[in-house]
Amino acid sequence: MNKQALIEQIPVITLIALCAAIALATDRFLTPLNLTNVLVQASVITVVAAGMTFVILGGGFDLSVGSTVAFSGCVAAGVMMKAGIATGIAAGIAAGALVGLVNGFVVTALRVNPFITTLGTMVSVRGVVFLITGGEQVPVDGTLPRAFLDFGVERLFGVHYLVWVPAVVIVIFSWVLARTPYGRSIYATGGNREAAFLSGIRVERIITSTYVWCGALAGLAGVMLASRLQSGQPTSGEFYELTAIAAVVLGGAALHGGEGKLYKTVIGVFIMVVLGNGLNLLNVESYWQRVAVGLVIIAAAAADQLRRR
Amino acid sequence: MIPLLAAENVSKRFYATPALSDVSLSLLPGEVHGLVGENGAGKSTLIKIFGGVYRPDSGRVLLNGREVELGSPAEALRAGIAEIPQELRLVPGLSVAENVMLGHLPARAGRIDWKRVQALAGEALARLHLALDLNAPASALSFAQRQSVAIARALSRNARILILDEPTAALKASEVRYLFQAVDRLKSQGVAILYVSHRLEEIGQIADRCTVIRDGRVVARYDRGGYGIHDLVLQMTGRQIDLEHLDTGMQPGEILLRDGIEARLDLREGSIVGLAGLLGSGASQLLRRLFGAESGARYALRGRELAPSHPSDAIRAGIGMVPNERMLGLVLAQSVRDNIILPNLERFSSGRLAGLNNAKIDRVVRGLIGALDIRPADPNAIMRSLSGGNQQKVALAKWLACEVDVLLLDEPTQGIDVAAKAQIHRLIREFAARGNGVLFASSELHEMMLLADSVLAMREDAIHARIDRGRGLTEKAVHDAMHGQ
Repeated sequence: MNKQALIEQIPVITLIALCAAIALATDRFLTPLNLTNVLVQASVITVVAAGMTFVILGGGFDLSVGSTVAFSGCVAAGVMMKAGIATGIAAGIAAGALVGLVNGFVVTALRVNPFITTLGTMVSVRGVVFLITGGEQVPVDGTLPRAFLDFGVERLFGVHYLVWVPAVVIVIFSWVLARTPYGRSIYATGGNREAAFLSGIRVERIITSTYVWCGALAGLAGVMLASRLQSGQPTSGEFYELTAIAAVVLGGAALHGGEGKLYKTVIGVFIMVVLGNGLNLLNVESYWQRVAVGLVIIAAAAADQLRRR
Repeated sequence: MIPLLAAENVSKRFYATPALSDVSLSLLPGEVHGLVGENGAGKSTLIKIFGGVYRPDSGRVLLNGREVELGSPAEALRAGIAEIPQELRLVPGLSVAENVMLGHLPARAGRIDWKRVQALAGEALARLHLALDLNAPASALSFAQRQSVAIARALSRNARILILDEPTAALKASEVRYLFQAVDRLKSQGVAILYVSHRLEEIGQIADRCTVIRDGRVVARYDRGGYGIHDLVLQMTGRQIDLEHLDTGMQPGEILLRDGIEARLDLREGSIVGLAGLLGSGASQLLRRLFGAESGARYALRGRELAPSHPSDAIRAGIGMVPNERMLGLVLAQSVRDNIILPNLERFSSGRLAGLNNAKIDRVVRGLIGALDIRPADPNAIMRSLSGGNQQKVALAKWLACEVDVLLLDEPTQGIDVAAKAQIHRLIREFAARGNGVLFASSELHEMMLLADSVLAMREDAIHARIDRGRGLTEKAVHDAMHGQ
């Protein structure tokens, strides 16, 4: 029992150990500037990973979020130039939700494997982004509204707006998952779809909704990224799906669904971001960083298997 | 006669917990040796010692009278000991012949010799007097046939000792006969069989000797014909358990459920109706249809028309269902509490996106854990860690928390031990005695006789006869009606 409790805490222990190791290796890690940097770097991917957690808890999988981030960012920027900030943001989030709805429909109604479904939308949505932008940033000339660009750099109570967004998202969605009938239905559906069905849960709707949330949150992340990059970039968001999935796994969620916590995904995100940040500070070549990140993902999955024995 | 395999004064502990204490048991050539005991009595530990998975802390294992050390399952297999587990480990997409020869496919010059595969597989199946299509994929076989393929695989490896672990748990009556014939043939060929089962009637039919273990010790050993089911139950539990039919003490009341398609199906308040049928008779499907898990049912519930297209329709109308496999009805990775509230989520909150009322949940869950004697009495215990009997109690508790009027139960006591079975039966009777109705399917005639006030015999997706208690309800009458005689 104690051993089990200890194993549950592996992600936190890993993160603390990682921070301690980097802090010992370089005194540039624990500076306010660098820590702020880490938070901002983690902000966009945290929002994506939160959506991914929903899908994975429900027993699914979503590879399309990286493309959705780019799609939403470009849509938001484009609409914003014509119809204002609020409409632009709404359009970006709605575009993401639409991709999620398509994913959910294909997975539940056409019963296509989630991996294949979202592999397909990942490629197609990226194609759509290039079609609507012609491969150019949005807007091609001119700048996005001042207030929107400020959002990407300004702070509230000393913390970047970009960091407040995931904080609010995590608090609200954690509560939904843990404390509402809807949240418990997601866990049950991912844990045992037939048992959930035989308990009266509309499992198709639940699964579809997880993809819609995931798409909408990827859309929100796209909007955040556009404000940080000061434009909608058609090539943005690449590898976000892999980072997000890795964060969920690092947080100890079961890839077959039904087990995991949102706050642990956040810890998973920070393990990834701190690792990248630390290797940067230590001047490790970026190619080596990729190797390291890949190995960490495999180590997390292996730890997950050991835990289940 | 020298036993083919014997355990002599074997003991095994796991940390501080003794699993087996001083257990001796021998298997003679051509003998079927029954092994019974409640869950946790030590049956699996003994099987695993014979199978080379565990080593005994003390005592000896003898093969043909000589002491052996079985260090791994592979060594046990080489010694001629083969376990046929409940999950058969066949590869569905491969042919019958390939499944029989899996792991030791004969090769010539590095290539598989398919002619020999066919010949050897055919030979092994012939020892069971089975004529299966060697080229058919395993996925096309019935469960009983797949079981025979698993046995043939053991024979093709020259196994002389077979351990059958709950071989009939997934079989219906006609398939059991099929298995018994195979067992008889193996006996005549000198194979020794350790037969582990919860189904005590079967032990009486097939075992030459029977050993009962309780709390890791051998408490009784009987020869064929020298005991009855009552003796086994008494020894397994250490106490007398009532196996007679008990009336709910209720006069059947108003009609609760009347089927619009099946005229013979009506369920009154306070009554328990059994659906008796062989595999494929449609009893499970009928329950699933009534619950809305499959479409096509139309019936009246307390006079109100209902044609459920989703389980939530049936649940809202006051119906609950426990499916025939616990795997299907429970989320094993979640807690007892989470499972009990699953069909009741909206009952415990004011909306789908409103918070759950935890105080109310805790009160209801604790009440049910007490009332149903669920062990451990911990709402946060993970389902996976509970015994089969306690899991089944949780499956019932889900619906008691909803206060349903009608329970549909598919094989309510499959694979659970005698004491838990008696408790489940008591809970079912108490539920009916509160003026509710129970419709249950069971392939165990014995259970039919214990529980049912009326029995509906099913064949080919339809109810063919209705037999009421007091009007000719006997095991033979039900058996005949099920088989269309």
